[in-house]
Amino acid sequence: MTSVAGSSVSKLVVACDAGMGSSVMLASQMRKRLKKYDVAVEHVAVNAIPADAQVVLCHTGLADRARGIAPQAVVLPFQVFMGDPAFDRVEAAIRDGGTLDG
Amino acid sequence: MTAVADAKHLEGEGFRARIQRMGGYLAGMIMPNIAAFIAWGLITALFIPTGWIPNENLAKLVDPMILVLLPVLIGYTGGRLVHGQRGAVVGAVATMGVVVGTEIPMFLGAMLIGPLAAYLLKLIDGAIQDRVKAGFEMLIDNFTAGILGVLAALAGLLAIGPIVEALTDAAGNGVDFLVDTGFLPLVSILVEPAKVLFLNNAINFGVLSPLGVAEATENGTSILFMVETNPGPGLGILLAYLFFGPKLLRLSAPGAIVIHFLGGIHEIYFPYVLMKPKLILAAIAGGAAGVGTAVVTGAGLVSTPSPGSIFAYVAVTPRGGFIPVILSILVATAVSFGVASLLLGFGRSEKGEEDPPVGEDALPVQASSATPSTTTPTHSDVPAGAPAMRNTVLEA
Repeated sequence: MTSVAGSSVSKLVVACDAGMGSSVMLASQMRKRLKKYDVAVEHVAVNAIPADAQVVLCHTGLADRARGIAPQAVVLPFQVFMGDPAFDRVEAAIRDGGTLDG
Repeated sequence: MTAVADAKHLEGEGFRARIQRMGGYLAGMIMPNIAAFIAWGLITALFIPTGWIPNENLAKLVDPMILVLLPVLIGYTGGRLVHGQRGAVVGAVATMGVVVGTEIPMFLGAMLIGPLAAYLLKLIDGAIQDRVKAGFEMLIDNFTAGILGVLAALAGLLAIGPIVEALTDAAGNGVDFLVDTGFLPLVSILVEPAKVLFLNNAINFGVLSPLGVAEATENGTSILFMVETNPGPGLGILLAYLFFGPKLLRLSAPGAIVIHFLGGIHEIYFPYVLMKPKLILAAIAGGAAGVGTAVVTGAGLVSTPSPGSIFAYVAVTPRGGFIPVILSILVATAVSFGVASLLLGFGRSEKGEEDPPVGEDALPVQASSATPSTTTPTHSDVPAGAPAMRNTVLEA
């Protein structure tokens, strides 16, 4: 179990299988939402999640792999690509300084 | 229901993650090079004798691109995945060994020898790294990689190439057999469940596309490009949700349809299936109907449509091949929509309780709840239809 304080998050990594499709779409959405909090948003392939990633957002179907590749990171799984509560949770934690548990 | 049972079974343990990871590497060698595939596909569609504007001179690009450029790019990318830029270079050199002297596009050979050569270089680099005298690093680095490249290219030409060529031939014959006997639609029974488990790229780019390209160089088109990429089954399911889905999910369906069908990001519909796993039957039926239609009408594409958007489809449809291709998509959509609507009970069960058990229905409510509960620790972490997964998370 990893966790991170929302206030210390400076970068959000969005991962998908290839790092070219759904993660790009979601990253651009999250980028818009998190812009005003000065949080960078990146998209990558699950296999290429950087070792220093703090918070990783990926579909539940890929969460096992994400955790295996980035054990230090807070991996936040989501289920639907639009309007998943996990997205709101990330934004809320960053805005209000709550804790994110992965 | 066996397919569903199998799909659930796959979700247990790290098995799925392992298959995904393996598939991720295969797809990871091809997907960064899709632009090159598209360039080749467009050149082919335009300039070959049966193309839109036949031109013998410009058509000279076709063979070298598919036989040399694309495999070398794949070997290069495969090498890079394993051992960075140095790995990429020996991967490309090694791939030259398998592409010369062959008449088929050596995708499988490239996917094998590129990473392999890079892996050997990685071992060598690791072994000698601490023994190199100061000032000799560049000399040693260049020559170890260069000499390894020679050996790998020779091994590719003499050993790996012929073996892969035989394997590709055998696989191609197997596909021909499936097409000729009309069994090809049955592959949807495997493909569609695997797809929603996020093995979509692995299946298409790891297996179907390499075989499809081999077929396309012979016949001009291949039906294999249409097996996994057909947007019809997903579209049918999303349409069924739009009309008959739980009320809260209906709202998200139109956006998902645009992203799926026009944008070609199929991942968008996977959660809609995972929420109600029985809908996989709709995907299978739609997929099989689409492939069946393609078999009967002789549909095929010149290259792999990536992403699986209707626009990409149109771009790689051969001249005169529009009707069969569009028909395959329409039939797949209609069948998938029909089956999915039936499975959703035509919206009948909507009042309050649809199948009550397990997490199946917990999800749609959470997913679209307007007020995110930031404090509830239980929500959204357990995937619907995969209750076992939570327990199998890799503990670091």
